[in-house]
Amino acid sequence: MPDWLEIVVRSVSLLIILFFFTKWLGMKQLSQLNVFEYITGIVLGGIVAIHVSTLESPFYFAVISMLIWFIIPYLVEVISLKSKTFRNFVQGKSRVIIQNGKIMEDNLKKEHYSTDDLLESLREKNIFKVADVEFAVLEPTGKLNVLPKTDYRPLTAKDIGLKLAPSKEPQTVVMDGRPLLESLANLSLNPTWLETELEKMNVSIENVFLGQVDSDGQLTVDLYDDKLTVPMPTQKPLLLATMRKCQADLEIFALATDNERSKQMYQVNSEKLQKAIDKVKPYLQ
Amino acid sequence: MTVGAQVKSCYASIKGIEASLRILRSQTNDLEAHDAYLETEHIIQEIKKDLEEQVLLLARQEPQYNQ
Repeated sequence: MPDWLEIVVRSVSLLIILFFFTKWLGMKQLSQLNVFEYITGIVLGGIVAIHVSTLESPFYFAVISMLIWFIIPYLVEVISLKSKTFRNFVQGKSRVIIQNGKIMEDNLKKEHYSTDDLLESLREKNIFKVADVEFAVLEPTGKLNVLPKTDYRPLTAKDIGLKLAPSKEPQTVVMDGRPLLESLANLSLNPTWLETELEKMNVSIENVFLGQVDSDGQLTVDLYDDKLTVPMPTQKPLLLATMRKCQADLEIFALATDNERSKQMYQVNSEKLQKAIDKVKPYLQ
Repeated sequence: MTVGAQVKSCYASIKGIEASLRILRSQTNDLEAHDAYLETEHIIQEIKKDLEEQVLLLARQEPQYNQ
């Protein structure tokens, strides 16, 4: 076998082995690797690189060394899944850096984390004042996770007592001009429904680049032809507006009439309609 | 527009609201939203019944517009 051919064969076969080893070792992102996994990755790569280009060393050397560097990290991973103490030893523990708004200097020192590092990590989280932090933890990956004091946390709908309708994930039903039957079936809709909705918007399915349906069954599309304007779904705002108009009408009737019984009837119904609006409003916005 | 016509148009709008709510209810696949639409629909139905009687009452009082 000529040398160049051997290099090709070695490269391809080692590449395949390396692919499966990394796959079996788990699918963590590079940034989430702990020290141990990091070293394993580098060594595995090194072994492959050496044995691909060094033809004097027999091929099975590469396989043996790679197997060892695969089996040991694999065992470590399996054991650390089972045992907490082992996990702490191998992967390291997260360390509290700021507690009750006070910096724990001893823990900073233990992690070789300088004050500048701390300030930099805080700035990354958009915090420029240490006094705004209630609690901060340094994870084994080197990332700092911060819990700001209550006044500095982002405002949520719950804080201002706003009632919001629960919204589920939208489903993509049209992609590159073709309907996706599976996601349509997930929403218990059929292609005929899609055709009708597109006809309402006055577009053909070939012109639709992407179409999504939200949990309320409203279709929104993006077209290939960006010059065309697509009508936004108006059903819900229109319904809310109609309800408000009717409520106002009933109030006017109540004011206008002299008949006591009619007046009362209008008033009661106006209040009822207001209640209905309040109930359904979160879902219509 | 006479009072009768005004109330009649309001009655028509209420009917439209009921229909829209029913469409939304059948389209949603979220249980909570489904329930909210259903409850609202019930309230709207009560209002519709009252207004229907009122429309008939006004029609009797303004017979000239009933031709």
